Amino acid sequence: MLLQETSGSRLSTAVEGVKHPDLSKFLVIAAILFIIGVAGVLTRRNLLVIFMSIELILNAANLNFIAFSRYWQDIGGGNPLAGQVFTVFIIVVAAAEAAIGLGIVIALYRNRETIWIDEIDLMKW
Amino acid sequence: MILSGWESVFFWIFSIAAIIAGLLTVMARNAVHSALFLISSLVSIAALFILLGAEFIAGVQILVYVGGVMVLFLFVIMLVNVGAEEEGRSPIFNRLPQVTAALVFLGLLAFVLVAYAIPEGFKGLKDRDQAKLQQAAGARDAREQNLQTGATGVSRITTQTERVGTDLFTRASLPFEIASLLLLVAIIGSVMLARTLKQEAAADDVDPEVLGHAPPAETGTDNI
Repeated sequence: MLLQETSGSRLSTAVEGVKHPDLSKFLVIAAILFIIGVAGVLTRRNLLVIFMSIELILNAANLNFIAFSRYWQDIGGGNPLAGQVFTVFIIVVAAAEAAIGLGIVIALYRNRETIWIDEIDLMKW
Repeated sequence: MILSGWESVFFWIFSIAAIIAGLLTVMARNAVHSALFLISSLVSIAALFILLGAEFIAGVQILVYVGGVMVLFLFVIMLVNVGAEEEGRSPIFNRLPQVTAALVFLGLLAFVLVAYAIPEGFKGLKDRDQAKLQQAAGARDAREQNLQTGATGVSRITTQTERVGTDLFTRASLPFEIASLLLLVAIIGSVMLARTLKQEAAADDVDPEVLGHAPPAETGTDNI
């Protein structure tokens, strides 16, 4: 009886969470995107796909920043838009990183004729 | 921060779309497909930004990421022509032991984050801010009632963008200038990195002796 009651209330809180997603749902989505990005960096052989996974990781961080910015606005904290300003800077840094990284990829492809990372092992011990 | 009604429907649609597109980015065999899936993931995340009330960031995300960075990615994919390589038998993932180890530890990390760390941390945060949350819940609605109605009559024009701009140019003005310098460095750096040997020779950066021994393979990529 008691068990049924608790499981029922747990179900109703889950339904409530689905109907009214709050900060923690955004954090879960961002965490899953982050994990997917790290998995891409660790498992893929293609240098370009690794770069794309890094973009995914940066976007997960952006989502966290924006979600916390909204939470901060809702509780009436001081300087509530700091998270959004940070996100602008992250996007700028990501753009710069992509430009430099892709320049390196092109230079590497000219020299080695490959972008498989396990074939680029000149500096491997 | 509680979304309700259609907002929560769109939240689930876009978050599931972002996660599925992210997974396909990592798993797609062809790098062009990866880039296209990443674009759809980024657009879904931009939609989540709009749900969170950050319209400016959503616009920047689409303009800079989808319109700039991803087009750059697609150009480079076309340049290095991995499509031909991906058609073959060569595996797209690393060797099995490394992949297994990575996935096991990432699975553990995901489980701890999703099942324990985030719910518990959020519960603590909510307990701490209980009073503020209740007090501010009405204040936000009241503030939004005061805003001007948009031309369609269904939504209100927020001052969010204006305030982000004010923050950028007052509190964050020094980082803003540093960011512009960073972009300059990135432009010059990528131009330097992507030069061909012939272009370097034209700028007198190469020892003529090296140039004499330069492999003739360079000609194929000269017109890039």
